[in-house]
Amino acid sequence: MCTSGPDTPGPDAPETVALILNGTPCTGRANETILSCARRHDIYIPTLCELDDIDHTPGTCRVCVVEIVQAGHDAPQIVTACNTPIRDGMEVRTRSKRARDMQRLQVELLMADHLQDCATCIRHGDCELQDLAQFVGLKENRFFDRARTEARPIDLTSPAMVRDMRRCVRCQRCVAICRHHQQVDALAMEGTGLDRLVALRGAEDYPSSACVSCGQCVLVCPTGALGERDETDRAIDYICDPDLVTVVQFAPAVRVAFGEEFGMPPGTNVEGHIATACRKLGFDVVLDTNFAADVVIMEEGAELLGRLKAGRRPTFTSCCPAWIDFAEIHYPEILPLLSSTRSPQQVLSAIAKTWLPGKLGVAPDRIRVISVMPCVAKKEEATRPQLARDGRPDTDLVLTTREFARLLRREGIDLKTLEPSGFDSPFLREYSGAGAIFGTTGGVMEAALRTVYAIVNGRELEQIELTQLRGFEGIREARVDLGGQVGEVRVAMVHGLGDTRALVDSVLAGRADYDFIEVMACPGGCVDGGGSLRSKKAYLPLAQKRRETIYAVDRAARVRQSHNNPQVQALYRDFLGAPNSELAHQLLHTSYEDRRRELKHTVKEIWDDITMSTMVY
Amino acid sequence: MTQVAYGVWDGVVHDRQAGQATLEPRNFDEFDEGNPIRAFFGDRGFFVFDESVSLVDALYHYMRKAAEQSCGVCTPCRMGTVLVRDALDAMRRGLDAPLDLDQIAMLGEQMRETSLCGLGQTCAVALLDALGHFRGRIEAELAPKRPIRAQHGMAYMTAPCIEACPSKVNVPRYIDYIRDGKPENSLGVLLQKYPMAATCGRVCVRYCEQACRRKFVDEAVGIKTLKRFVADQQSGPNALEFTRDMIRKPLDPAMRVAVVGAGPAGISCAYHLLLRGYHVDVFDKASQAGGMAQIGIPAYRLPKDTLALETEIIADLGGRFLFGQQLGRDFSINDLFARGYRAVFLGLGCQAGSRLGVAGEDEARAGYFSGIDFLLRVHDHVAGKVPLSLSGEVLVVGGGNVAMDCVRSAIRLGAGRVHVLYRRTRADMPADPGEIADAEAEGVTFHTLCNPVRVLTQAGRVTGVVVAQMEQSEPDDSGRRKVRPIPGSEVTLPCDTLIAAIGQQVEDGSRIEADGIALDRWRCVAADDALTTSRPGVFAGGDCVTGPSTLIWAMADGLKAARNIDDWIQRGSVRFYKRARMRKLIADNDFLANDVVETPVRNAYRVHNPELDPELRKRMFEEVEQTISARAAYAEAQRCMRCYRVYTVLTGHPIPEGAV
Repeated sequence: MCTSGPDTPGPDAPETVALILNGTPCTGRANETILSCARRHDIYIPTLCELDDIDHTPGTCRVCVVEIVQAGHDAPQIVTACNTPIRDGMEVRTRSKRARDMQRLQVELLMADHLQDCATCIRHGDCELQDLAQFVGLKENRFFDRARTEARPIDLTSPAMVRDMRRCVRCQRCVAICRHHQQVDALAMEGTGLDRLVALRGAEDYPSSACVSCGQCVLVCPTGALGERDETDRAIDYICDPDLVTVVQFAPAVRVAFGEEFGMPPGTNVEGHIATACRKLGFDVVLDTNFAADVVIMEEGAELLGRLKAGRRPTFTSCCPAWIDFAEIHYPEILPLLSSTRSPQQVLSAIAKTWLPGKLGVAPDRIRVISVMPCVAKKEEATRPQLARDGRPDTDLVLTTREFARLLRREGIDLKTLEPSGFDSPFLREYSGAGAIFGTTGGVMEAALRTVYAIVNGRELEQIELTQLRGFEGIREARVDLGGQVGEVRVAMVHGLGDTRALVDSVLAGRADYDFIEVMACPGGCVDGGGSLRSKKAYLPLAQKRRETIYAVDRAARVRQSHNNPQVQALYRDFLGAPNSELAHQLLHTSYEDRRRELKHTVKEIWDDITMSTMVY
Repeated sequence: MTQVAYGVWDGVVHDRQAGQATLEPRNFDEFDEGNPIRAFFGDRGFFVFDESVSLVDALYHYMRKAAEQSCGVCTPCRMGTVLVRDALDAMRRGLDAPLDLDQIAMLGEQMRETSLCGLGQTCAVALLDALGHFRGRIEAELAPKRPIRAQHGMAYMTAPCIEACPSKVNVPRYIDYIRDGKPENSLGVLLQKYPMAATCGRVCVRYCEQACRRKFVDEAVGIKTLKRFVADQQSGPNALEFTRDMIRKPLDPAMRVAVVGAGPAGISCAYHLLLRGYHVDVFDKASQAGGMAQIGIPAYRLPKDTLALETEIIADLGGRFLFGQQLGRDFSINDLFARGYRAVFLGLGCQAGSRLGVAGEDEARAGYFSGIDFLLRVHDHVAGKVPLSLSGEVLVVGGGNVAMDCVRSAIRLGAGRVHVLYRRTRADMPADPGEIADAEAEGVTFHTLCNPVRVLTQAGRVTGVVVAQMEQSEPDDSGRRKVRPIPGSEVTLPCDTLIAAIGQQVEDGSRIEADGIALDRWRCVAADDALTTSRPGVFAGGDCVTGPSTLIWAMADGLKAARNIDDWIQRGSVRFYKRARMRKLIADNDFLANDVVETPVRNAYRVHNPELDPELRKRMFEEVEQTISARAAYAEAQRCMRCYRVYTVLTGHPIPEGAV
């Protein structure tokens, strides 16, 4: 579960160790593991718990067993390749009969309490455990015990996620990503023996836990143990109900992070395909969250200017719901610094429930807003009491990108074969290049500065692409001269909650000097959100490709600043008045709540929880 | 009966009938009085002494313990122990088993060869040995397909670090909990054994780390550093609360026990008596709790508020401190019994400094301290009561931890130069090597193989010491080298302050003797293994019994005394304690061998507590070492190899239940 030791050799380390891999003499790096050496020499060893992209080698599954003969030893030994270092003169046999038999038996033991109703699993056909069983040639399942397996718990307390321990293989990747990378530390390993499972740290259920629903745990889970709460059934119910008018919206990042599910090259912009698919699915109105992103810029830009003039700094962005959860649960003292502007999803839903009914000529209570998001936290955001109207949530249903793919499959739609089309709805769908880049880290900042500059100076930025804001480091900072009364502003962009924690700590300690800070909870931003398509044996492998497409969408856009979006201008003219108007405040802004968690226990409670250690002397 | 009938140990087959080598393990005659040992199963094999033993039933009990203790982290042990246990259980009941013997052997081998930690790697060794070499016996047992008669015995799981710890703290378990992300449970494991976890995490001499098998790979696990990490959570927002529901069963108000001495032994004894429901009063001559941990350990190693937080636990649990009360002066043991206390625990410590016993010592009235007196003055200085400052040359005689505390305190009090004089070699110094290194980093000069022979004074004021050079003799039969002075090697070392930190004794020994408590020939309180003294109802432990020793030994004695006091009050005698017997069996035969680690393990060196810079810290009494970060704690916890081992013993009769 921990990152590997300090002696992990780097990619440039010299190859000084001579060994024999499957009969072939080769060289390796000092203190390198057998697994990484074998991979560099293109030898496949089956693994399950290990995930190289996050430096995770807990050695728990014990599947990667190989046979070695150490220099000076006669007898072969069995070791795990993931955490055994190579040594000079060592002979490694990854395919000896003994190693293969032990690999297979290990997988069979893993299956002994793994729920194998595969056809009902959200991971069916896309599961690392299934792949592993195929690799080792698993043919029998002698030890499976259904009663034992079904006794393992399933946690349904989150509106966003499901934690199904009947399918957990105890690889601890989720704990590692949450603890070491996102640094939320919401998960803990609990129990012993067969009762070993992933639990919420110091909490019985999600609502009282430290979890912020970022969903990065879901992205690294090798099986169907962690997943979004699947709501495709409810989506179909809405679509098929003749009394309801379904309004669908989809997020900026979805169009660049979806095609690969249907065999298209990673990073393909499938916006047009999605529009066609939505029509085929039977949605009544297809809207684009990009439009709402432009509205967010109008509101947040005006708010930021007001705060800058009042000397209130810094201001944090508020469009990422996992960041909002993080601030409310882990740093409530920072809440006054958050922009009050709602996220694009909620802005669009609010307009769809208030302005759109008049335009469509339908009663608001017949409208159901369904959003398609690369995010599991959006599901939780939609249930926030602050974002309900007359007892109903503005956003009725959130589907992650993964559920949207499932929905298409359930309706027999193959995205790849569809003819792209435009939107048929005449409003709330045009977007600027600024709205499009919301999907990647730095995008919200860049979009906001384009508009704020124009407001301050009465003219557009000459160099519209603020490349100094782009990049992939966890924390980036820049100075931008906004001219006029405002002058130079200091901005920072952070993605991934580990770096966010560091940045917030420095703001609270008075060590950071910024005017405006963009936060995206997921590393890379929404293009690799916790609700996006999963990868196998990899973490964020497509981030760069998706990002490039997002910037390409911006470059190709007719209008590249939010305030120049004609439909946005029309919305303000016809309905909202001006940014931050009273109506805009009522509909498009929100409030936050201190939800700090108390993790207080008595010694007695802890003693009652401890197993395998007693008072006995 | 102590000769092995058959068995396998370290791969060597013993079979008396077949005339194959058999051995006679030590101390195996009987387990408790009149209760013969029939068989023994361990991590390296098994011995059977009695031909009528059922291997199937014995192996079931062994595997049941392994399954119960499997942490569930790795696949083969988590599932294998359960599958094998259930199959053996069916077999011993005469039922159809879900696995045959070949499948059991296959799972056993999978566990032994592929498990992550010591438990999984060793828990099938005896099973595989039995199946490999005595399969005929097992098949014969199974042939009738009838239930096998149950056998008596016990199972015990331990690890080298646990056995090395006087308090038998379950070290791998508290490291597990750190790894799992539950530092509060980790602290809970420590609190099962003693209340002073943060203190121990700062000053313990770490017997556990000396036993740690990780040293065969790179360095021992930083067990103390991790202990401090979890204990320091108590000063944060998530501090655990000590509530009275920790008390197992509150007893009648008449069930009162007096604890004399609020040092580590007394605090630990009071804690465990309180948890057992007794009403405890703790008497101490000082005005605050902590004993030697309070006065003997300088603040730069153990901040006083950290200590106070932990001694306060006694009050949280309903215990009462009675300060300014010294045994032999303010009250006697007779008084205590007269006041209705059912039993008394003496945790008096050794608070009188030993003298050098050389010429000129008696004339030294100024500039001369015993180590303990000096530390007491330092304590009063830090507490702001009586300022103390030093200048010029300071000589400290002795090589133990008290000597190190004296030199490092002397530097902080402004001494010009500070010297250690030690009669043996540097390697022989009993002080913690870390303390020696820290002292050196702060500028202390070490003079080894030299010994004072005369103290020089002028008008009662120390001016110097005459020192003889020492030489080592050839090693004697035990390998120990003695030292003797080299004739004519005397030199004079001028100094302004001389501190003799060469040992301590029980204070006011004769007054205690007069109270009916026998002392031994070292003038320590005489107590047996059960910590009972010559006077019924009076128990003693810690330094006053052992002579100057360590915090962890004192706390261990406190726990042991509490258990025995409970037995004595409730039953009139102290019971046989089966776990201690098992430990003796293991220790007498070196079963828990310090073997090497056979497969390659990646090097990952231990984390260290961040320290203040020596140039800065030597000017002040603020704590030198800081707590490690959570990230470093996770990494360090990951280094533990969990060298758990299961041992079971079969006996002729049921083993009597001991106290818990």
